[in-house]
Amino acid sequence: MDLENEKIGPAYNAPDSYFKESESRLLQRLGIDINSPEAAAPKIESTKPVEVLIKVDTSGIQKRARKQDPQTSKSVGVDKEVDAFGKVEIAPLTFTTNENPEWVNFSAISEETIGSSDSLNITKVTYGDLLNPVDETTEIKTEDSEILETELAVSEIPVPEIIASESVIAEPAELLPTEMECELIEVESAVIEVQSEGIESIETIELTVPVIEEGLLEEKIELPDSIIIHEVPDSVGLDELESYIAPINTPKSPVIEEIFQQDEPQIVNLEAPATAFAPIAGRQKESATPGWLGVAASLAAIVAAYFIWNAIQPPKAEEAMATELQQEEPTAIESPLDEPASPKDTIPDGLQLVEPLITGDMPKYKEPNVYTIIDAKEMPPRTKRALQDLEDNGLATFDMEDEMFEELDFESL
Amino acid sequence: MSVDIANAKNMSETQRLQNLSEDDLSIELVTSGATASLFVEIVRRYQQQIYYHCRNLLLSHDDADDAAQNTFIKVWQNANQFKGDSRLRTWVYRIATNESINLIRKRKPTIDFDEAQPEMADMITEDLYLSGDDISLKLQKALCYLPFKQKLVFTLRYFEDLTYEEIALLTSTSEGALKASYHHAVKKLEIYLSVLR
Repeated sequence: MDLENEKIGPAYNAPDSYFKESESRLLQRLGIDINSPEAAAPKIESTKPVEVLIKVDTSGIQKRARKQDPQTSKSVGVDKEVDAFGKVEIAPLTFTTNENPEWVNFSAISEETIGSSDSLNITKVTYGDLLNPVDETTEIKTEDSEILETELAVSEIPVPEIIASESVIAEPAELLPTEMECELIEVESAVIEVQSEGIESIETIELTVPVIEEGLLEEKIELPDSIIIHEVPDSVGLDELESYIAPINTPKSPVIEEIFQQDEPQIVNLEAPATAFAPIAGRQKESATPGWLGVAASLAAIVAAYFIWNAIQPPKAEEAMATELQQEEPTAIESPLDEPASPKDTIPDGLQLVEPLITGDMPKYKEPNVYTIIDAKEMPPRTKRALQDLEDNGLATFDMEDEMFEELDFESL
Repeated sequence: MSVDIANAKNMSETQRLQNLSEDDLSIELVTSGATASLFVEIVRRYQQQIYYHCRNLLLSHDDADDAAQNTFIKVWQNANQFKGDSRLRTWVYRIATNESINLIRKRKPTIDFDEAQPEMADMITEDLYLSGDDISLKLQKALCYLPFKQKLVFTLRYFEDLTYEEIALLTSTSEGALKASYHHAVKKLEIYLSVLR
């Protein structure tokens, strides 16, 4: 086929209605009305570049960047001035009522816009305002503090300061005008003995004495009359700690332990021993049996098996002879007549005589067992007798130069 | 009354643009800028050619329709950038070719334009607006066995009757390379058509 000379038309033939519909669809998408008076007017650019930009002062604003060390290839976070990267210019924003205020960039609103009468009442909340919330909370705090101060002034309670994790021997102080007494607090030695009376009045203290930790006060309600907390060495684990504390403070031991963990976690070694997270196989203790004993036992088992195996095996010579006799006897009896008839059928009648040659099933030629013995004269009589027995039974023929069978010469005939 | 005057003015403007040759239309676009009536004239003049060009490359009616629509939208949006250095038809064809390539890449991002796409031959017999001519369909199927550039050159030269100069401008290729490419495409298509018969 010659494409150059035989012109083949296009395979597609769309109707004119499709093109008219496509044209109207296109004009509708573009918003063009061909019948409007503006149809002949030049097109107005729909998107004009913004000419007026508001420059934002970025001095002092730092940008988090990463700097890579060429030698160690490690990157380190550094703060860089935004001005080092160039001026940031943000286009003027147009706010509409249905716009999501979360997306409004308030930092781009100029002060004039905020203050003008024809704009919305926009309140700028800076990041600093977010960090320092409105004064309402401050006022609440001040009210509380005033109340506290008033109550303290009324009750005239000296406030003891208990500094945790430091060696402080606090002086006995009266927390309340009631009978409560705090006789001895020794944190350093981890032995705290508290004798308190009128504990029910502690709840009223909680508001007036904010310095004392709340958890400690709550636990004080449940404290027995005498509590002894013992220092536990770092090497003691949690399990051992529990068994260690249990006989001392039987009813309240979990509470004491909790207080101990909360207040002085540095005393208790909470870290489990390194072997706790090791695999189970790794946690197994070494066996008392030395390793070489197992190797020796396995070797001994192998040697024993070898000897047992040899012991139960029949002698090799007898077995070989037996198998040889078993193989020879059937071959001596074999004859071509016993062969299956199938190969004969394939041989023509004229070639039946040479059939064994064709089939290759000639009977085996059995060589006589003739052995030449040169030094028969020197053989002991016992050996000669044995050889004679073998010859008599047809098992072998011995060609011996023993002058037993003298050669016949012609002259003697 | 004013509406009638405006309609009459638009009618006369439309008739005037219809009578313009392609070169005059290009000059009109460069000098007077893009107007709605001028754009409509461009659409009416090249719509069918662009659709068939996209259809030959994309084979699917829907894809060709999308590509043709996007082509004329870009013509309208970038009409003021037309400098008149090339013919208006060449400029529109180039936009349509780019749109078709973009659509092919969108449909099949891993496509290799140096390789033939014979699997696209199955799309030919199951789509709208087929002419029903057997030999034309076989030629379209045979085109699927060509690499994209040979297919593009053959389509523009054989079906659209563009000159080598226009195709060279359109594809940014030399005319010699285009002639060689077209020759190879014709020889391959003749072999494919003899096999397909």
